[in-house]
Amino acid sequence: MFRSLRTDTPELVRLTVNGQPVDVPSGQSVWSALALSGQIITRRAAISGEDRSAFCAMGVCFECMVDIDGLPNQQACLRRVADGMTVTTQDIVEATGGSGQ
Amino acid sequence: MNNSDSGFDCAIIGAGPAGMSAAITMARHGVRPLVLDRAPRGGGQIYRNAAGSSLPDAGVLGPDYTAGADLIRDFEGADVRHEAGADVWHVGDDGRILYSLNGETRQASAREILIAPGAIERPMPIPGWTLPGVMTAGAAQVMLKSDAMVADNAVFAGSGPLLLLIVTQYLRLGVPIAGVVDTTPRENYLRAAPLLPAALRAPKLLAKGAALLASLRRAGIPVYRAATDLRVESDGRAKALCFTSGGQEQRIAAENIFLHHGVIPNANMARALGLEHIWNEEQLAWQVKRDEWGQSTVPHISVAGDGGAIVGADGARHGGRLAALNMLMRLGRIDLPTRDRLGAPLLAEQNRLAGFRRFIDRLYRPARALRVPENSDTLVCRCEEQTVNDLRAGFDEGARDPNALKSRTRCGMGPCQGRQCGPTVSALLSDWRGEPVADVGYFRLRSPQRLLNLEEFSRFRMAVPDQEAAE
Repeated sequence: MFRSLRTDTPELVRLTVNGQPVDVPSGQSVWSALALSGQIITRRAAISGEDRSAFCAMGVCFECMVDIDGLPNQQACLRRVADGMTVTTQDIVEATGGSGQ
Repeated sequence: MNNSDSGFDCAIIGAGPAGMSAAITMARHGVRPLVLDRAPRGGGQIYRNAAGSSLPDAGVLGPDYTAGADLIRDFEGADVRHEAGADVWHVGDDGRILYSLNGETRQASAREILIAPGAIERPMPIPGWTLPGVMTAGAAQVMLKSDAMVADNAVFAGSGPLLLLIVTQYLRLGVPIAGVVDTTPRENYLRAAPLLPAALRAPKLLAKGAALLASLRRAGIPVYRAATDLRVESDGRAKALCFTSGGQEQRIAAENIFLHHGVIPNANMARALGLEHIWNEEQLAWQVKRDEWGQSTVPHISVAGDGGAIVGADGARHGGRLAALNMLMRLGRIDLPTRDRLGAPLLAEQNRLAGFRRFIDRLYRPARALRVPENSDTLVCRCEEQTVNDLRAGFDEGARDPNALKSRTRCGMGPCQGRQCGPTVSALLSDWRGEPVADVGYFRLRSPQRLLNLEEFSRFRMAVPDQEAAE
């Protein structure tokens, strides 16, 4: 289980994560926002469709690709949260067309 | 300044210790470099957020991390053109650079280019490593540094100084740890022993390592040595890490498992540029062929820091300065004797650190079974879900080199562009062919180095010196 060690009271922004409103500290990464709200699944594997989650958290592995505001293939670990942002688990698998490219 | 072609004299890609040190040196000698980095502030992965941590007390991360804050301040005070948030996805040997910034595509050109892309973690393919909940130790570090986020009761498995570092940081922060599973092979200690005298030339680094190990013992958390046969147990997500240690099967229940067994240069940009690479058997990694100043086989392109060969943060600082001195000479800002005079103490320091590095490389040489996976069902290519078995089938059908295997099996064709499977593919082929990795080679890579969408591609600007980007 992930948790934050922050003791200050940061300004909050409101995201919509898979249809649910979530309030998170501004300035943090989309991946951290997902993890702290307990939603660690970011995408489905291209062929098997198995659940995947962030692996490297620094932009190398592309496992944390999510849909942000309607744009697919956004690396959650590299993007910062913004008020009103909509984040959705990415459901692109090869059988449904497109290999994530 | 030669700006007749609207180009920069110097562009530096990456603002970690190497890139920042190079930029500061360039600025001191009157050249204002263009510095491109993906992060909101300088620091790279090692000093990520060091100048603005959201932790209540960043001191727990250790003196090396807080020392990074000084370098970041020097960098931010220097006369450089720093484009924060710039994600570079193409560098050409014609001096052209393409990058994404704020949803736009930008182009710049430079006479001298330094690439300082840093390191990535060596892939550690074990059964179940793609399960949600399994991450790298580097990920644990990044989450802690950038967002003060930790995982309770996690298992840390693998080998090497970075694994020990994050474990120690968790201990200092009072974050409970379920166990440490050390995969360092026993024979490494014997093999490293003859290199100890050279390592003692950097006594501070050695003492630091010993202190890390001691704090681990004092904390009384379960530590399993010389562990083998690691696999992650699953119920759709990570549930436990199973392994063998001391002749016994072990199982530690955990929903967060952090893997790590060393770092290797982040080579994709240098590869796509066509820079010549050589295989380093001591570091078990490809590295860019360069002279002692970091200059590659393409003279106006230099590489510094861990992106060239693993040298650590201090080595990266020196490497960045050395590369800057050489570029200043090539730009006609300093003469050869000046470059050599200013570079001499840095080269001596590099040499001293190299002795310590060789010791560390030998001590933490990754276990063979974790580099050359033996279990036929283990996924090698995470993106295209290719197992050892799938790759073996491709090999048996005649795909004997990485590129042939890529076209036959799609391994390395996914969004990560081989970053997670490339080293394993070369290691497996080397094993199957019975030939050295140096002869097997690596994937041929091309730009772009990231996924692009048409929308940002259609918004295009030129970045030119001494003014804001113009149409």
